[in-house]
Amino acid sequence: MAEIDWFPLTLSLRVALIATAFVVIIGVALGWLLARRRFFGRELLDAAVTLPLVLPPTVLGYYLLVLLGRRSPVGHAIEAITGQPLVFTWRGAVVAAGIGALPLVVKTSRTAIAAVDTNLENAARTLGESEWRVFWRVTMPLASRGIIASAMLAFARALGDFGATLMVAGNIPGRTQTAAVAIFDAAQAGRDNYALVLVLILSAVALTLVYATNKLTIDRR
Amino acid sequence: MTLSVKIKKALGSFDGGNSQSTGPDTGSLKSQRSAHSEKFELEVEFEVPPGFAILFGASGSGKTTTLKSISGIVRPDAGCISIDDEVLFDSGRRIDLPIRRRGVGYVFQDLALFPHLTVQANVEFGMSERPHSDRRRRAEAMMDALRISHTARRRPGEISGGEAQRVALARALTCKPRILLLDEPLSAIDEATKLGIISDLKSLNCELRLPILYVTHNREEAISLGERVIVYERGRVVARGEPIEVFGTPITTSVARLTGVENIFAGLVVGKSETGGTMTVEISDGSGVCLVDVPFGNEALGEHVTIAVPSGDILLATEEPRSTSLRNRLSGRISAIEDKVNRTVVSVHAGVTWNASVTRQAVKELGLSEGKEVWLAFKTHSCYLLDQTQ
Repeated sequence: MAEIDWFPLTLSLRVALIATAFVVIIGVALGWLLARRRFFGRELLDAAVTLPLVLPPTVLGYYLLVLLGRRSPVGHAIEAITGQPLVFTWRGAVVAAGIGALPLVVKTSRTAIAAVDTNLENAARTLGESEWRVFWRVTMPLASRGIIASAMLAFARALGDFGATLMVAGNIPGRTQTAAVAIFDAAQAGRDNYALVLVLILSAVALTLVYATNKLTIDRR
Repeated sequence: MTLSVKIKKALGSFDGGNSQSTGPDTGSLKSQRSAHSEKFELEVEFEVPPGFAILFGASGSGKTTTLKSISGIVRPDAGCISIDDEVLFDSGRRIDLPIRRRGVGYVFQDLALFPHLTVQANVEFGMSERPHSDRRRRAEAMMDALRISHTARRRPGEISGGEAQRVALARALTCKPRILLLDEPLSAIDEATKLGIISDLKSLNCELRLPILYVTHNREEAISLGERVIVYERGRVVARGEPIEVFGTPITTSVARLTGVENIFAGLVVGKSETGGTMTVEISDGSGVCLVDVPFGNEALGEHVTIAVPSGDILLATEEPRSTSLRNRLSGRISAIEDKVNRTVVSVHAGVTWNASVTRQAVKELGLSEGKEVWLAFKTHSCYLLDQTQ
């Protein structure tokens, strides 16, 4: 094995990190909404957010292509604002990985937030705190284990995204080729050693993260 | 400052207070309503001037729901809640102030101390708008006043029940509430600690003069603290007034039971003397029968009646109290002596089993002990004929 190309791995880490950051903000907000607010269509929203977990990644990728493609209004707007298209760039990979990880964050943080005693939140309100501050001073700290666990799961999931990433970001070596896609490429081309190195690294990272997540959530109480 | 409350709210047979921590408010009420066929409506109206008002009643009578409505945690179906001229809630005018703007201090039944914060941070919690030094100074003064300074750096999980109670009180008071709601604050505390907290609450009351609404189903607490008592039963106010009036003149059997009149007996009118102003009633419980004189009334000979005798009205003597005006004198044997917060209850078997409340001092001076022969004496007018409609 002459020279290992580390680009796919560093790209994957960067994509997964950025996707996790976005997804945790959006996912925790949705998790709070589902756990604490009653509104029409609440369970429908939960189901819709869960879809990426069960749909074939190609279906997800297809939706994203249609939604964010250069000919769609959304894609057009993004290109007008940022000067670059989203699809077939590494940013597209961020969106694809993020959508795949969203259900994990929403589900885990919804459970964590629902487990916080509402009496504690009510106590904070009687002490004059606004909803926003009740969330930051009471709900968030008490749900933090679950939320951190959800972020780690999201990172692990984003790191391993394949199908949707392939459809939205493509497979452009040195530009949009993530580790998961590079493994596919290498295995197809018979570069088995390279594939194996990436496979082992991704497996080790995933195992570590899932193990840590379990520790965080199981040790609770 | 005066709190006025007039609310209506449909309830399950439990007042939600004990179960609400398990789920969102509306959800648990709804599920309770379907789970229990026995449902009723909370419909109450009362005013609380500065000082202690005791909300007294069995669990599930709507006490906690009342507190939650006042604080804004639960929305009544209809009604009006105000502190002086400021309206907190008015269903007619569609006013419903958010919890944080109501200025209501609330000590929850389970205290709801923040487990992730130290005692000091808990006490400072509601003062986040104030400068740091001011916050610290006030928290320290309050912790001093409530004698919990030594716990400042500990977390709620590391302090005793009595200390936790004081922390919850300090946390509510540092926000300078306009009224204070206390939900069974002493229910999980041992008797000795209780007495200490009761005396602290009394001195706080003298100092602050806020309307304090205190929920309890404990008669001793009600008597030691109450300037006014409001008795709840199944969502209604069934009696109100000074503790002496309310606890001293039971109107219905249920009020008598609720207010802790320990001596309630079923009986039969066996004699009537209009000139003497008395009737003789033969009463019985599982253990025997006995005759007592009660005030003359409309009941016919042979009619079934229920009589109640407040335990505090019964006099205990070691020899027969002869030359007194007391019509009822019974001799018997002490079967049990039980210490309560501010009195001792002596059970005496004299035909039926009577409970008499005396002071610890009296127990000592008379040398009372189980098995000892004693005399019970009480006035005819200490025997209340109860209205049996409820």
